[in-house]
Amino acid sequence: MPRIACCRIPDLPLSAALRADPELKGRPLAIASGPGPRAELVSVSPEAGQKGIRRLDRVAQARTLCSELCVKVASPALENAARQALLDAALSCAPRAALAAPLSGSFAAEAVVFAEASGMEAVFQSERGFATALLERVRRLGFGLGCGPWVTVASSQLVARVAARRFAIRHPEGDRVELLSPRSERAFLASLPLDLLDPGDTVQAALTRFGVRTVRDLLQLPRRALGTRLGPEVLELIACARGEASEAPLPCPTEDRRVEALDLEFAIERLEPLNFVIQGLLSRLLERLEARQLACGEILLRLDLEGGGRDARRIGLAAPSLDLRSLVRLVGHALEKHPPEAPVVGVAVETQGQPLQTDQLDLFRPAGPAPDSLGRTLARLELLCGGGRVGSPREANDHRPHRFEIEPFESRATVRSRKAQCPESGAHPPTAVLAVRALRPPVTAEVRLSGSVPDWIRSGVAHGRVLHLSGPWRITGGWWSPESRFAYDYFDVHTSDGTISRLRFDHISGAWHIDAVYD
Amino acid sequence: MSRPPVQTARAVEALLRDLGSRLRRGEAAEAARSSHTGRLVTGLGPIDALLGGGFPRGRLCEIAGHPSSGRTSLALSLLAQTTRAGETCALVDGADGFDPSSANAAGVVLEQVLWARAPGWSEALRSTEQLLEAPGFGLVLLDLTLDPRLSRASRMHTPPATWTRLARAAAGSDSALVVLSLARNTGTAAEIVLEMRTTRASFRGSPALLEELETEARLVRHRTAPVERSVRIRLRSPHSSTA
Repeated sequence: MPRIACCRIPDLPLSAALRADPELKGRPLAIASGPGPRAELVSVSPEAGQKGIRRLDRVAQARTLCSELCVKVASPALENAARQALLDAALSCAPRAALAAPLSGSFAAEAVVFAEASGMEAVFQSERGFATALLERVRRLGFGLGCGPWVTVASSQLVARVAARRFAIRHPEGDRVELLSPRSERAFLASLPLDLLDPGDTVQAALTRFGVRTVRDLLQLPRRALGTRLGPEVLELIACARGEASEAPLPCPTEDRRVEALDLEFAIERLEPLNFVIQGLLSRLLERLEARQLACGEILLRLDLEGGGRDARRIGLAAPSLDLRSLVRLVGHALEKHPPEAPVVGVAVETQGQPLQTDQLDLFRPAGPAPDSLGRTLARLELLCGGGRVGSPREANDHRPHRFEIEPFESRATVRSRKAQCPESGAHPPTAVLAVRALRPPVTAEVRLSGSVPDWIRSGVAHGRVLHLSGPWRITGGWWSPESRFAYDYFDVHTSDGTISRLRFDHISGAWHIDAVYD
Repeated sequence: MSRPPVQTARAVEALLRDLGSRLRRGEAAEAARSSHTGRLVTGLGPIDALLGGGFPRGRLCEIAGHPSSGRTSLALSLLAQTTRAGETCALVDGADGFDPSSANAAGVVLEQVLWARAPGWSEALRSTEQLLEAPGFGLVLLDLTLDPRLSRASRMHTPPATWTRLARAAAGSDSALVVLSLARNTGTAAEIVLEMRTTRASFRGSPALLEELETEARLVRHRTAPVERSVRIRLRSPHSSTA
């Protein structure tokens, strides 16, 4: 017999606003459908309700009842992020979970997530332990400040959802976890008012005319006749009332992209307040990632600009990281380098969750940097040195000298496993070899020739008469396009100042440069 | 029964005479230090002997020398030995002069090197501090061999306190911090300072090829060992016929 846990947030707009701004807890708060004093209220906090403010009141009317009322405009981006956070909380303790589709009508404001509860008593000691853990994780992701959440466990999604609605009405301040045994579900359903099953408006109106108000009343009516009279919708309702509705199994998680977004009430022009907003979004994003044992990979920052424009930019990380401070500074640094072209009216931060790097300690080799501290260090180094300048060096597959690549610095476990697969790869045995130091960019040199051979050099690196020389060696390539074409003659030159350098003559530009020094 | 005061005074004098000479020679301190701080070998025997076994962990050391003095070769040799011993190393490249091909030829395991190409002197020093705060790096190499004009100017603006702070950061970690510079920079903050200079460059064969570079390494500072000793090493060119 399957067991499904349902976590229900009765008022998502309110909970999303409190999740984004916890300081609003305890204050009279209302969520309006739009800006302006004539907008309708879609959600009202209990504190505002105590002042007499109700849903569907106008903003102006509500303000007359309570002068301290804080009104926020409903933000679909914020609510969507909150919904996804609910799913993250469920997946942090269950192998399969899914969000319920949003409803219209009287339950339009609720957000529900279903999680697979079958077999979870083996992990959490009991079904109640699992439900309590789910509740705790949902609260930890910012949902503990408003109304709800409630967690119920039943044999189907429908029963669990209906039970969560019922217990919220019956015991608003009571225990937030309820378990329904399979044997008691039918009796439980029979006692419920019909509107908890969320019938369509037409069906509800028709059944109300017939005097059908509870599920028990509905089940006493002949099924076939009712279906003929009111259509297939009522047959579905009867199946739900019996707990027989067919439900698809909960899916396994496939997508690891997470978004935290916010529609701003006022356009932001300066970077400092924008960074503050981004910090809040990143903080919530990292909480969600941490709940799923993931770290933040590349960040995609989307800014909606006043006038309809959009600014989208990718900020790469040297390694997955959960260090909020470094990530905020990285994003701030990117914004300072290229500020948005217009005031910002909406912000979204998206990332692909990546597994935290782990490393197996070795008895016989020294312990390297721990993966979590390495991720933080790499993020800070990128901030100091710039993007693309921190990583592991590699020789490039290019016959031109001093070509290199920088790859992301990997943990030792990854390096060791790769080496185990390619035992022949690796460096030459250590030898006392004269090293070359590259000059980036190459230093311009003035060269006096004796015949076709350099005789005297003047540059910022090597200066003086040429004592010894070897070369030239010609390297050419890229002849197929003007941009990539090159032709150099290289010389190893020992000048009277003691420097041994690598001098090159560029046949295309006719210039002399020193691009390396033997040291 | 206690000793008479005169005998006590003589015993104390004898002890001080004996201790004093040992302290001046540096034996006791060196033994105490080397017993609990490991050393990173360079793989160049004469250099390791000169340093007393290698570069010490948890200490700031400096290799100074003009271009073509062999300091980069020495640094890469140290990097090769350390990475091949399984350690993770970091290179803060304030000069942007690191050449991976040259390092590979020297035997450096590139996958175990974290290369940070710092855009300037200040970023290089701050990056070094960050790396010393992160445990797990056996060697942190700070390359500050910039353009001589820039180096001189930067030296004027780098207060000694910076090196003291880095030395303290190194002492709090298990990493050896080795600074490469054009001329002595670290002052009294360094445990060891080596000065390198070229003695001879050999071009042989027909056509002439750079065969080898002979260089002299002089120990100009060592907290616990005698200084003003030098050794010569030969560095074989990658173009050498015997390479």
